[in-house]
Amino acid sequence: MSLEVSNLVGGYSQVPVLKDVSFDVKDGELVGLIGLNGAGKSTTINHIIGLLTPFKGSIKINGTTLNEDVKKYKEQIAYIPEQPIVYKELTLKEHLEMTMLAYNLDQDESWKRAHKLLKLFRLDNKLDWFPDNFSKGMRQKVMIVCAFLTNAKLFIIDEPFLGLDPLAVNDLLNLISERKKQGASILMSTHVLDTAQRYCDRFVLLHNGRVRTEGTIEELRKLFPEAGDSLNDIYLTLAREGDAS
Amino acid sequence: MKQLFRQRLTSHLKEMMRYLRLVFNDYFVLALLFVIGGLGYYYSHALKQLHTGIWWAPILIIGVLLVSVQLGRFATLIQAPDYVFLLPRESDIYNYLKSGYKYSLSIALAIQVLLWIILMPFIQVTMHVTATDLYVLLATVLLMKTVWLNADFARKYHLQNRWLSNRLIFRLVVPIITFALCVYVNYWLGLALAVIALIVSYFSRQKWAARSLDWTKMIADENSRMHTVYQFFNLFTDVPTLQGSVKRRRYVDGILNRIKLVPKNTYLYLYGHGIVRDNEMSGLYVRLLVIGTLFLVFIKGEMLPILLSLLFVYLIGFQMIPFYFHFSDNAFVHVYPITNQYQLMSFQKVLLYLLSTVGVVFAIAVVAVNYSNLVTVFGVIIGEAVEIWAFIYLYLPKRLARSERVR
Repeated sequence: MSLEVSNLVGGYSQVPVLKDVSFDVKDGELVGLIGLNGAGKSTTINHIIGLLTPFKGSIKINGTTLNEDVKKYKEQIAYIPEQPIVYKELTLKEHLEMTMLAYNLDQDESWKRAHKLLKLFRLDNKLDWFPDNFSKGMRQKVMIVCAFLTNAKLFIIDEPFLGLDPLAVNDLLNLISERKKQGASILMSTHVLDTAQRYCDRFVLLHNGRVRTEGTIEELRKLFPEAGDSLNDIYLTLAREGDAS
Repeated sequence: MKQLFRQRLTSHLKEMMRYLRLVFNDYFVLALLFVIGGLGYYYSHALKQLHTGIWWAPILIIGVLLVSVQLGRFATLIQAPDYVFLLPRESDIYNYLKSGYKYSLSIALAIQVLLWIILMPFIQVTMHVTATDLYVLLATVLLMKTVWLNADFARKYHLQNRWLSNRLIFRLVVPIITFALCVYVNYWLGLALAVIALIVSYFSRQKWAARSLDWTKMIADENSRMHTVYQFFNLFTDVPTLQGSVKRRRYVDGILNRIKLVPKNTYLYLYGHGIVRDNEMSGLYVRLLVIGTLFLVFIKGEMLPILLSLLFVYLIGFQMIPFYFHFSDNAFVHVYPITNQYQLMSFQKVLLYLLSTVGVVFAIAVVAVNYSNLVTVFGVIIGEAVEIWAFIYLYLPKRLARSERVR
């Protein structure tokens, strides 16, 4: 059991955005966090990476909560934010070094891996450039390279596909499945439902700060037989239903 | 992590030095020396008029000490991407922050000593104090500042006991009580309270230092601190990192809503709303307007008020010129189906509004002070009218054409 969110109530101020959210991500599993704008996907993620503290409930990574042991909890996470965020005064090379420092990675081995990743995302000739001047898609690639440089046990990926070219989307999905095979857990929030349907093992559908439903695509089809076959159809039906009730 | 802080501090200090060199140029240093000398002279003179037992003296002392304690903030030098890149090292950030704390503390304490030295003669003249009392007071102030910074340190964490970082308590309530105890009751008693506060704040640290960081607050705090610093430098020079902040200013809506929503007013709409709401532009305008008016209120003479008001009208107009290009980076204005001929006309119209207001305010100030001198009164009115017309319709188009070519 890698990530375990139980009965999470939380949000930014006193007003809870999340009302009793529970789900888990097991080892070697890719879970898709699906929901409309404002459903609470990013809030959930901000709670998991520790930007926010839960009002109630708990979040455990391999059995540890944040307040039991900050070090053990945080060392296991790699995070790719929705908006790529980079240091204005550091070059791409220095960003990678920063990541190696922060995750305490072996320099030689990491550089080998880094060069492979850079080549994959066609950034290998831009090591001395400043990512701050890159386009959104390219900065997103920098964030991906930095995250997959690590040996994190849990990857938290917030809406990774926007701004990425199709080739990069494909490469990212390959990277994810490679890590999955090695036993890492991945939580990914996204709006791109057909991609999610093809790659995610399970889905957590958030609506208005609650888990509307969760399960594999077969389970969802069984639960809502009249909604349609694709994740897209099922989700649209549920979202409209949720608004009506 | 300590290394990281040292790196950041070096580049931070380098940046600060660059700006300080621009601020403290030769003329400014000379002017500053005169001002400090003048103030010192005034202060020493004023001290001679004072004696012990003045009722407001202790209150003033407490007030000055209270202001003094607020000076010197916690410089974390944290940057926004840190929450992603340093995420796995969060437990180590404590050491990083401790370096920042030490650095901030040393600067803050130096400021306290400086203000204490300035305040010392005043206390000696107005209060019955021994030399020991004064040193005890200094110790109290230094401890209070340490407590202040400790609370700010605790603020960076997700605290279990929220009051440990309560700004009202540690910035105002505790210092006021402590200083009042010092001045009104006994200096040693104040020191004792300060020591207790310090012990509490140090012992609580062991508890919160193990908790998780409040990155959002930490980044926001550091940004607001740097914003204040940059704002200061921006008074003297251009700070590129200072992104223009925007204020709504609902009270000007009455004027702005009079712009008719027809295509040829597109730029008028943009410039009007932009100049009013852009803090940099409206700040500059209001500052120069106030300074100019103050000058004119205090200055009498025949030609001098005319020259001064003309100078300030020119200065204000000149500062507004770059705003013409404010929207050229915005893709929308290039996409809109409008011709550029209205851009200049709109900008001229906005400037006419702004400068006419300045002219009227200045004229009122000059007339109110020099109403008996007809030459000055008419000189200002006619001079300003001619200047504003010439500036907007003769000088501005040429100047903009030249800038356009450079761009």
